[in-house]
Amino acid sequence: MNTIQKLIFASFIAAFLISCDNAEELAPLTPLEVTLVEDLAAPNDEIDRNTGEVIQARSFQYFSLELNELVEENEDWDIAFKGTTIRVNNSKNVTAAVVNGVFEEITEVPASATFNTDSANSFAIPTGSGNGWYNYNSATFTVTPIPGRVILVKTAADNYVKIEILSYYRGNPPVEQIDPRTTPSGYYTFQYVLQSNGTSKF
Amino acid sequence: MIRFNLNKIKLIFLLLLSEISLAAPFDAEKRILDTNGNIIPHALVKLEGQKAMLVDELGKIPQGNKTEKVTVFAMGFESLQLSWEEWVSREEIILQEKSGNLQEVVVSATRTERSVEQLPMPVTVLSSKQVQETGGIRLSEILREQTGLQITSNHGSGLQMQGMDSDYILILLDGEPLIGRTAGTFDLDRISVSNIDRIEILRGPSSAIYGSEAMGGVINIITKSYQNQSNLNLGLRHRSFNSWNPYLEMGLGNRKWNTQLFLDHFQTDGFDLRPEVVGQTQNPYRASTAQLKVSGELSEKFKVSLFGRAYQEVSDGILETGSAAGAQLLDLGNQRRDINFNPTLRFKPNADWTITLRGMSSWFGTRSETNFRSNGEAFDFQEFNQFFHRTELQTDFMANSKNLITLGLGQVIETVEATRYDALNRFDAGYFFLQHLWDPTPKTNIVTGLRADFHSQFGNRLSPKISGQYQISEKLSWQASIGAGFKAPDFRQLLLNFNNAAAGYYVFGANLAADGIARLQEQGLIAQVLINPETIGQLNAETSRAINTGFRWKPTSKTQIHVNAYRNAINNLIETAPIAQLVTGQNAFSYFNIRSVITQGVEMDVQVKLLENLSLSAGYAFLDARDLDVIDRIDNGEIFKRNAQNQTRRVTRADYGGLFNRSRHSGNFKVNYRENYSGVDLAFRAIYRGRFGFGDINGNLILDDDREYAPAWVSYNLTASKTFEKGLFLEVGGTNLLNTATPAQPNNPGRVLFIGMKIPILKLINR
Repeated sequence: MNTIQKLIFASFIAAFLISCDNAEELAPLTPLEVTLVEDLAAPNDEIDRNTGEVIQARSFQYFSLELNELVEENEDWDIAFKGTTIRVNNSKNVTAAVVNGVFEEITEVPASATFNTDSANSFAIPTGSGNGWYNYNSATFTVTPIPGRVILVKTAADNYVKIEILSYYRGNPPVEQIDPRTTPSGYYTFQYVLQSNGTSKF
Repeated sequence: MIRFNLNKIKLIFLLLLSEISLAAPFDAEKRILDTNGNIIPHALVKLEGQKAMLVDELGKIPQGNKTEKVTVFAMGFESLQLSWEEWVSREEIILQEKSGNLQEVVVSATRTERSVEQLPMPVTVLSSKQVQETGGIRLSEILREQTGLQITSNHGSGLQMQGMDSDYILILLDGEPLIGRTAGTFDLDRISVSNIDRIEILRGPSSAIYGSEAMGGVINIITKSYQNQSNLNLGLRHRSFNSWNPYLEMGLGNRKWNTQLFLDHFQTDGFDLRPEVVGQTQNPYRASTAQLKVSGELSEKFKVSLFGRAYQEVSDGILETGSAAGAQLLDLGNQRRDINFNPTLRFKPNADWTITLRGMSSWFGTRSETNFRSNGEAFDFQEFNQFFHRTELQTDFMANSKNLITLGLGQVIETVEATRYDALNRFDAGYFFLQHLWDPTPKTNIVTGLRADFHSQFGNRLSPKISGQYQISEKLSWQASIGAGFKAPDFRQLLLNFNNAAAGYYVFGANLAADGIARLQEQGLIAQVLINPETIGQLNAETSRAINTGFRWKPTSKTQIHVNAYRNAINNLIETAPIAQLVTGQNAFSYFNIRSVITQGVEMDVQVKLLENLSLSAGYAFLDARDLDVIDRIDNGEIFKRNAQNQTRRVTRADYGGLFNRSRHSGNFKVNYRENYSGVDLAFRAIYRGRFGFGDINGNLILDDDREYAPAWVSYNLTASKTFEKGLFLEVGGTNLLNTATPAQPNNPGRVLFIGMKIPILKLINR
């Protein structure tokens, strides 16, 4: 089963940048915690490669960013994982945007970021290689998070979160060691920062 | 044979030929030999003030009357001038071979016969001797040892030239294009080399005479012809991986007609670079080739030739597929066949005009069947059948000794029927080309060409090219050419109708994209159309503009140096891009003209004949190939990378390694040595391929990380051969002697040892 471990890093750089840029405003006094979630297991449906039919359907794994744990579908989940698809909780009006940048350097939700929620026809975090958070390399059959893609989420509790997906394979192995035939996939490792005071600054 | 040689020496040759006297009695004693002591057939002896005398194929020299000076000529040899006394007293007249291959006749560069030294574009000619000393059996094994050429592995062994992929290189067999590409790659392993007389390598765009595909360059494979002699050769070669290659060559010739039959069979057990994975890297296969050439004179003015070739290849193997029931074994059976039929009629009403009518028909097909081992049920079945026909009329007019004008007109029909395409598809095309060979001064050659293509699918295209050469001195000449190339969108890009059931995505060729999207929309499968449907289906040809410039320098009579620098600016490269997002979250793709790429570099070859029996050569190629859009995105700070510690940072220009599968540095070093006592020829070659990017690892899909490179490697190859007195030939050797192999190079099996022989049966019986 999935193990969720919590490791805390002090985000000094972020704190430093914020304090420099915004001398007049009220800067967060304590640096925000970076939460690392490891090996969240969210395997995809099992599909017959011949026919494309689903042999065994699997459910999404519902995750609360506020609680940093898996929750039930009827609870206050923010995002949900299955295979390479990441949903947001549209019933709780959770919205998300995908931006480019270095995770640590994103100190504020950019004005240009457009937040959407999931609809019947589209996902706030687009699916498909190159569209959202991952690239599928058809030469090596490997799914790799796109470096520099940061997912911004406005949670069910109206707080902003920035997320960086680090790996899709169990144990977050170095990318050159991934063998798509043997390394178990559908295991998310990601880091995120939650701003719980309701502002858009990290 | 008809020649258009504006070169002075060749003109002398022609003049001499026209006044040959054959009536004189033979001089039984005297022989004209090469430095190996072999008789040079068809040499010419010119006695001053008299008609030139032709030496026959057995080396018999007609007698002439006493004169002051005697000059002896032969193609490919330095001419020799003797006094009458010397001529009479010598029993053996030995001619020195011209060093290097500047005298080699090249057909593909201008579609008329010219020697390398007259051509203002970068051309290399490989002789049958160079082909033989590689010990190669398939064409890829010959070309991989040449400077600036790489063999890449993508649906077969494809050729990379000037940093451009197999898709952009035209392959000709006896001057006619070969068809049949899989995912753009022309598999060079389809071509057996046993009956190759020479190979012309023409670098840079040649669309000005060949149209589509000749964007990076042209390879022309010329098979052997035996004029005025009969041959029967049997050969057998055996090599590692239980590979066998028996072949038969038969030539029947008299003064007017000659016929060549060639049969070749190759079979191998294949090899496996990753034994831990089910299935081999290269599956066992059996390939057979039959080729028949008949040519002759109908009358003095009409010549006719017929060329027919058939190729069949069968391979089988196994694969493993994962499914709900666990891993399952699959049996693969693949077939590939190829038939060519090319009749040619040539009419030469007088010395100035030549009119050539060529027909060329080609059928190419593949069939691949994949079945479950457990129950024999079909897993996958694919068929692909392509037909190509071309009729071409070429008129050459030699206006005077300085101007040769060529006009060509042609019509093309192409059809394709395949599992992944709907119905039978047909393309029609027409073209004309105009070429002017001009030697304004004895030191200058200029070739100007223009070709117009009219295509039923992508419209019209004009391809100009101009090349010039200036002879700075006897020893040094400078060449430059500027030209345009293009490649028409292929069947796949226009017609593909593919649905990957497992992953749930669709790929539509440009012609079908609008319909495909409409159909998916009707079925309610589309979430969002990403591209304006108006612009779907507007696929244009990929285009390039190129400049090549270099020099040929002979600092001494035993040394020659060739250098060529080039830059290809390629636009409108066709790639897939999503056109619509499906409700499942997957995409539907189609083809678009997206990328722009630059390839540039320098290639040089140095050859030195150190001793009579020892020569060295060295080649070096520098290549820089990059994607301009990637560079723009790097400059805009839009591409990131993550290091082993999962820290993200922006990619800089210095990180960017250019296109995948290109070696920045490559080269070769070759030693040819003849051991005089035993008569054994040794050919040692070290072929270096610098590191190259083999695939993205860090997720940004560009080459920017040391882990994304395959290491540099050197292949040490050695061939020892001996030709016995009556032409019996034995060879033994090995390639990649250090046994270097990596999965990054799936077409390199590691060490290969070989042994072979060729028996000239008729020669052995006759003497």
